[in-house]
Amino acid sequence: MYRPLILLCLLLGAPALAQLEDLENPGTVSAVQQRAYRMQHELNLSVGVLPLDAFYKGLYAQVGYTAHFTDTFAWQIGRAAYSYAAKTGLREQLERDFGVLPTAFDEVQFFFGSDLMWKPFYGKFSVLNRWVLHGEAFFMLGASLFKFTNVWRPGVNVGGGGRVFLNQYVSLRLDVTNNVVIPIGGGSVALTNVMTITLGLGINFGATE
Amino acid sequence: MKRLLFSLTLLGSAWASAQSATPPDAGLGDAAAATAAAAAATTGASSAPAAPVQPKKIDPRLFDSALQDYFTGNPRYAAPKLFEYTENLPSTDENYAWAQFFLAKSLIELNLRHAGAVYLARIARERTNPAVLPKALEELQKLTDLPHDELMIDEQIFGALDLGFLPEEVAGYAHYQQGLVDLRVGNERWATTHFSKLPETSPEASRAKYAMLVTRLRSSKKELPKEMIDEFFELAKDEKLTQDARNDAMLAVARLRYELGDYKGALAAYDLVKLPDLDPGRATLYLEEAWTRYQLGQIHAAMGILTTLDAPSFRDEFQPDKYLLKALVYRDLCHYLPAKRAAKELTRKYADSLEAVREREDLTRDARLLRAASARGGTRRAKRFFDSLEREGENLGRYAGTFGDRLFGYLTRLYDLSRAESLRVYNERLADSVRVEADRLLRSSEQVRLMEYEVGLKLYERVKRGSKLVALIQEEELKDDEVAFKFVNEYWNDELRDYRFSLKSRCIEETAR
Repeated sequence: MYRPLILLCLLLGAPALAQLEDLENPGTVSAVQQRAYRMQHELNLSVGVLPLDAFYKGLYAQVGYTAHFTDTFAWQIGRAAYSYAAKTGLREQLERDFGVLPTAFDEVQFFFGSDLMWKPFYGKFSVLNRWVLHGEAFFMLGASLFKFTNVWRPGVNVGGGGRVFLNQYVSLRLDVTNNVVIPIGGGSVALTNVMTITLGLGINFGATE
Repeated sequence: MKRLLFSLTLLGSAWASAQSATPPDAGLGDAAAATAAAAAATTGASSAPAAPVQPKKIDPRLFDSALQDYFTGNPRYAAPKLFEYTENLPSTDENYAWAQFFLAKSLIELNLRHAGAVYLARIARERTNPAVLPKALEELQKLTDLPHDELMIDEQIFGALDLGFLPEEVAGYAHYQQGLVDLRVGNERWATTHFSKLPETSPEASRAKYAMLVTRLRSSKKELPKEMIDEFFELAKDEKLTQDARNDAMLAVARLRYELGDYKGALAAYDLVKLPDLDPGRATLYLEEAWTRYQLGQIHAAMGILTTLDAPSFRDEFQPDKYLLKALVYRDLCHYLPAKRAAKELTRKYADSLEAVREREDLTRDARLLRAASARGGTRRAKRFFDSLEREGENLGRYAGTFGDRLFGYLTRLYDLSRAESLRVYNERLADSVRVEADRLLRSSEQVRLMEYEVGLKLYERVKRGSKLVALIQEEELKDDEVAFKFVNEYWNDELRDYRFSLKSRCIEETAR
């Protein structure tokens, strides 16, 4: 009977306690620092993998250019990648044991694209309590054009990524995106997903700091 | 009467036997070790007179063998051989000084730096071989970068050297030291003569300029010469100086500007103090910067810096002003209860020390005052030297087996006596420093009491009807190129200079600053 009442009394005390703390040590403290790393024109050299397809794994090299308009918004104006398809065991088995023709498998050969980047996260982390590294995380939304074995198809991609700054000019960047490829041509009717995982070096030019 | 004469005779003979018992060179120029040996002999004198120790015949190949040990990376085996060599051969032997030199080097490599310095100092005093002397002085100069016996090395060796024959580099350092000694005794003209002989491009020349400026600053009682600020500023940019020395020069600029009321200039100078990456810096630097910002009306930034002083790196620092400044900031924002609490924090935190001062107790027994006093210039150096002797004395025990009885016994006595002397010097300096710190604490405590009274009056002040809040002190907005990391009781060394406090003013029209 009295239990809810006691609980209520206890809960009523909580805001008072919080106020007491505020009265004793009023105010808040923040470390306000100049942003240590700012991006401007970024040339990106990277390697990546297309891991989703069961019949092959694409290993690709990519070049890209990104214009960073502000600290939180950028446009990856262009990127181009060439992919090498490494056959999986399943595909080899199909070709060897079931006589499936190699031309039956649609592989990504190269692709181009452009993305908008929103970079709301910027922070730093401590490495072994000895060094401090700065980094940022971002979201991407863009469009790509894939050249498959026999056909060109467009796609829309969403994803995210992160960057660790090594110095003012060089940063390590990891992007993970999923491309929803629209079935145009080649007899395909279903949407397909092409996932890309890209690790690269971002070379930054023209930053003010 | 007869008994008294008899005991005097006994003591006299004991002293004589002690003199003869002292190894021929072990006591040379080392009165301390000789005294110890004499004392040891005196205590044993009543039993039997000690027989004079005859010098052993030494195989000249012993020196070569010792050198081979030294150059093959075995200084622990080289040291006893070289000791035996120096103890049993006259100082006129052609390898005598070299043996002393390599004995010193061996000891230094074994982390027995003070013992090594004693042998190097002996070479400098005896000057038996002109070829060894410059090398010994170079080694001594290197030792001055670490805690060392200032009296023996800086004053008795470098401060008293005949400078005519020395190589340029060592002569420069000796001139610098002799100039410093002259400055210390107030003879600026002689110091200038020494300093003028330093090559303009040498680091000593810059250090000499700094020493001269500091001395002039101390002697200028009331008016601060403005041109001195420029001279300090020039020194702060001098690449020949170490970063620490440049920072000291820049701090001097900041302090002088502050004294002249040029707070903006002072703040600019504080900003120019460069700390190594992730170095926590010095508490005095932060506190002074906080006062400067407070004077400029940047009270939120000043309070932010006070947060820095609560970091673990500075928890043991003796900064009683900190609480006063904190109370002032809260008062200016009309948060009177926190202001009162901040003021009281000082008397609470330093209650034991204040009690010790009031009760006229031995202040060196108060842990806080002791720590604060030990962190002051000369006292700090004396403490560091004493600590290094302690460490080296402990380290010596590791070589009891390899060094043999004579070398080990000699070094043990040497370290015991040096430790006793360094402790005496430390205590002497401590007595002065601790008084200075106690004065500082008392002054702050008095100011805090005034503050408490003032805040008490404000607390109970009546607020007129219709009074409005006024925000005369505006917080700085975050700029585009800035990022803010909220402080949650975790101190990051890279943020220590960047904390900013945020608190709305509660002042009403009448009481607004």
